[in-house]
Amino acid sequence: MSQFFISILIILSGGILSLVLARQAKSARIVSVFLISFGCLWGLIDITSTLIHSISDERTFEYLNIFSLSFKMDGLSAFFLFAVFGVCLLSSIYSFHYMAHEKKPVRVAIHYFFFSILISSMALVITASNILTFMLSWEAMSLSSFFLVIYNHEASENRKAGYLYFVFSHVGAMFILAAFAMMYAHTGNLAFGSMTQVPETVKILIFLFSFIGFGSKAGVFPFHVWLPFAHPAAPSHISAVMSGVMIKTGIYGMIRIYMLLDLHTPLPGMVMIIAGAVSGILGVVYALGQHDLKRLLAYSSVENIGIILMGLGIGMMGVSSNNTAMAILGFTGGFFHILNHSIFKSLLFMGAGMVLHQTGTRSIDALGGLLKKMKITGVTVIIGSLAISGLPPLNGFAGEFLIYLGGFKGVAPDTPAFIMAILAIISLAVIGGLALACFTKVVGVVFQGEPRTRAAEKATENGAFMLFSMSVLAALCVLIGIFPGFIIQLPLKAVASLGLGFETALFEPVMNITGNLSFGAMVLFLVFFLVILIQAFFYNKKTITASGTWGCGFTQPTVKMQYTGSSYASFIMDFFRPVAPLSEDHPAIEGRFPLKTHYKSHISDIAGLHMNQVVVDPILFLFDKLRWIQHGDIHLYIGYILLAIVLLLFFI
Amino acid sequence: MIESILLFILAILTAPFFSGIILKVKAFFGGKKGPPILIQYYTLIKLMKKGSVYSKSTTFMFKLGPVISLGAALTVLLFLPIAGHVPVFSFHGDVIFILYVLGLGRFFTIAAAMDTASPFEGMGAAREAYFPIICEAAFFMILILFYRLTGELSLSSYFSGPNPFLLWNIAGAPLLFVVFSFFIILLTENSRVPVDDPATHLELTMIHEVMVLDHSGPDFGLIELGSFCKLFFYSTLISRLILPFDLNISLTFVLYFMGLAVVSMAVGVTESVMARYRMDRVPQFVLTSFALAFFATIITLEFI
Repeated sequence: MSQFFISILIILSGGILSLVLARQAKSARIVSVFLISFGCLWGLIDITSTLIHSISDERTFEYLNIFSLSFKMDGLSAFFLFAVFGVCLLSSIYSFHYMAHEKKPVRVAIHYFFFSILISSMALVITASNILTFMLSWEAMSLSSFFLVIYNHEASENRKAGYLYFVFSHVGAMFILAAFAMMYAHTGNLAFGSMTQVPETVKILIFLFSFIGFGSKAGVFPFHVWLPFAHPAAPSHISAVMSGVMIKTGIYGMIRIYMLLDLHTPLPGMVMIIAGAVSGILGVVYALGQHDLKRLLAYSSVENIGIILMGLGIGMMGVSSNNTAMAILGFTGGFFHILNHSIFKSLLFMGAGMVLHQTGTRSIDALGGLLKKMKITGVTVIIGSLAISGLPPLNGFAGEFLIYLGGFKGVAPDTPAFIMAILAIISLAVIGGLALACFTKVVGVVFQGEPRTRAAEKATENGAFMLFSMSVLAALCVLIGIFPGFIIQLPLKAVASLGLGFETALFEPVMNITGNLSFGAMVLFLVFFLVILIQAFFYNKKTITASGTWGCGFTQPTVKMQYTGSSYASFIMDFFRPVAPLSEDHPAIEGRFPLKTHYKSHISDIAGLHMNQVVVDPILFLFDKLRWIQHGDIHLYIGYILLAIVLLLFFI
Repeated sequence: MIESILLFILAILTAPFFSGIILKVKAFFGGKKGPPILIQYYTLIKLMKKGSVYSKSTTFMFKLGPVISLGAALTVLLFLPIAGHVPVFSFHGDVIFILYVLGLGRFFTIAAAMDTASPFEGMGAAREAYFPIICEAAFFMILILFYRLTGELSLSSYFSGPNPFLLWNIAGAPLLFVVFSFFIILLTENSRVPVDDPATHLELTMIHEVMVLDHSGPDFGLIELGSFCKLFFYSTLISRLILPFDLNISLTFVLYFMGLAVVSMAVGVTESVMARYRMDRVPQFVLTSFALAFFATIITLEFI
């Protein structure tokens, strides 16, 4: 594990050096990008060898002689670390040109400092092996990402986003702490160890508490409310890291707790599948309704977290019903989707960042026609969109395919998982269709057609480092999609380390499945190639003319007449009206020659809406009444502390 | 294998014929003589001889649209047991794969439509993105039923050889539901009345036709061939279910093509006696297919 700590130190040194060199904008950026990427690369290489050789290792450091910080590396940790280091490596390379035009050098330096802390704390969360280490790293992760979210704190909406994120991550942490407290109360041991002496009901309670706590980090509906605000506020490479890997630490937490609890009731699986289906469907519905490109991607993360939860839930159902094949397929599919989602979601956020960089707007309906001038961005985003819609032959499909197969295993006669399996399969099918609608909207409205505004017309693409990161990710989407057999080893190692008692021989069928997927991809490419040949044959020596688009008889079309993203989505949104209420602002047109009018629409998120009414407003009301406690007199505050300690003494 | 490939080529060659049957049946109900039954072949030949006009708004995605949509349809046929014979390729889970391949085709058709910057094509694309979602859910519901009955997850295990007959033996009543469900899916996925009207004259009311307005010449020919293949695929599923008999080779072959003709005629009759639904009513109609498949699955819970 010493290699792992070296990589963390390199990353942190990058952050600290950027503070030291803060005044020299360019050198600070070069040094910190280089060190952070180098550290990530170092970590990535180390993790790869750890995974391949299935090494597990432990390290403990005494801190102040009171408690120990201990870290443990096993297959599960290594799997998540692989995604963390991989995505952070490319994001930090991307940031080199993304941050090049920032005016305030000190702020950029501080951003790199927190970026390095975010990466290292994520890595430490994943390797933490006792409660204290975990909570410390978890808080460091939440706080550093909070500072990154409020990077542009001049805009009030970004401050609001940061505040919301802060509240959610801390309420979440409170739930996690409560779950840990219950664990400690029954085991008397701070380490993540055996929990055999914990009664079954307490185990379930621990699971539910940690599900809520980790779910609020992962963005599970209805705890996802912070996500659509925080992701658009942060710089794009930070969004890529947050959405690509940081929210997955929530998933990691759930799995780690599940593993420790060793539960054999169907309840965890049911909770995961139901929460997954709801997050998945509502996430993609809200994504479809958004006008802001990065907010759309944020909601799509909620959707993908849903898919991951369903995969893992199928795995848990398989464990509880002793259906080994179902368990392996579900877990492997879920883990595989974690990896895939971190690839295509960071790619899409980077693409959105490039669009934002060039046009200065995130509004989907203000863009258009970008594919002509932003070729690499356009093509990589199209690849990412195909992958996230779960279409073959890209990586998104490979993961979902495994989850489907796991779900079907649960459908077979005499399994108790029947209803849950049906729910998961049908939800996956619906999510697939809706995601296709959502991402054809992104591709069709943002990148195709004619530019709707001047800003979109003038856009070009530059920044070799940005394009490099995006191209690598897009290439990975395609390669993993065609040859899932190589990369599937990583999720399989993670599943093997879950300690569910599966024989390694049972992993053989999964390899057959990936073989079939490669075969299917080959067939697809072959057929496409043949059809391209046919097309070329029929166009040989033909006259090809260019002309305007056929306007169905209308001869004066303007770019404003194009179908907008909102109108593209409205048809589907009508169907989901009960869960996605639409508010419109459109004054009636008056007079014979109306001069000016406007139209505004907004799709509300019912979780946000109800959370305001049910939770936030009453709490604000209550605390408003208690405001007199906060009077600003420090002596009385010390008095409060004394009083609290005295009161606590009664309970000991 | 060689027979399967021959059947695959035969399927592509005969696919336009069944579209001709639909037109003939509609003409019969309209009291007209109608176009010759081989009309679609003439159209294809005519299109292939022409050149093309491309809109200045379009990019490479526009040219890729026809390729991928036809390629997807052809790939699907490769996994389809034609005339009850084993398909060219088959693997566990190929049904899921081909459903997603059809989705891939849809993605590129929509992208090609959005490429033209035409408001009409955008409108068609929005509809095309919507209805198949429900169809997919219904199809997966049917798969769940089939999986319960057979424990397999490939088209050939449901539709090749004696397998459809075995399905009827295990669960006859639910299968009736499935046939109707498949028929609704066929109407929706192939843009037929009452979901979409391929013969309408107003762009505002179209779904599929309006999306391919700007395609011309061989490109449009490829799209047309793709949609014939898609119709052939869905017709095959129904044909094998309504005439599940597995007799000697030639008789099965004849029965199979009779089944396809029956399905085409049923489509023609439906188109003649029904009007297209109002756009906002269509989802309810398509949801019926999901409900039917769901009921079929619920019924089997009793039998097993």
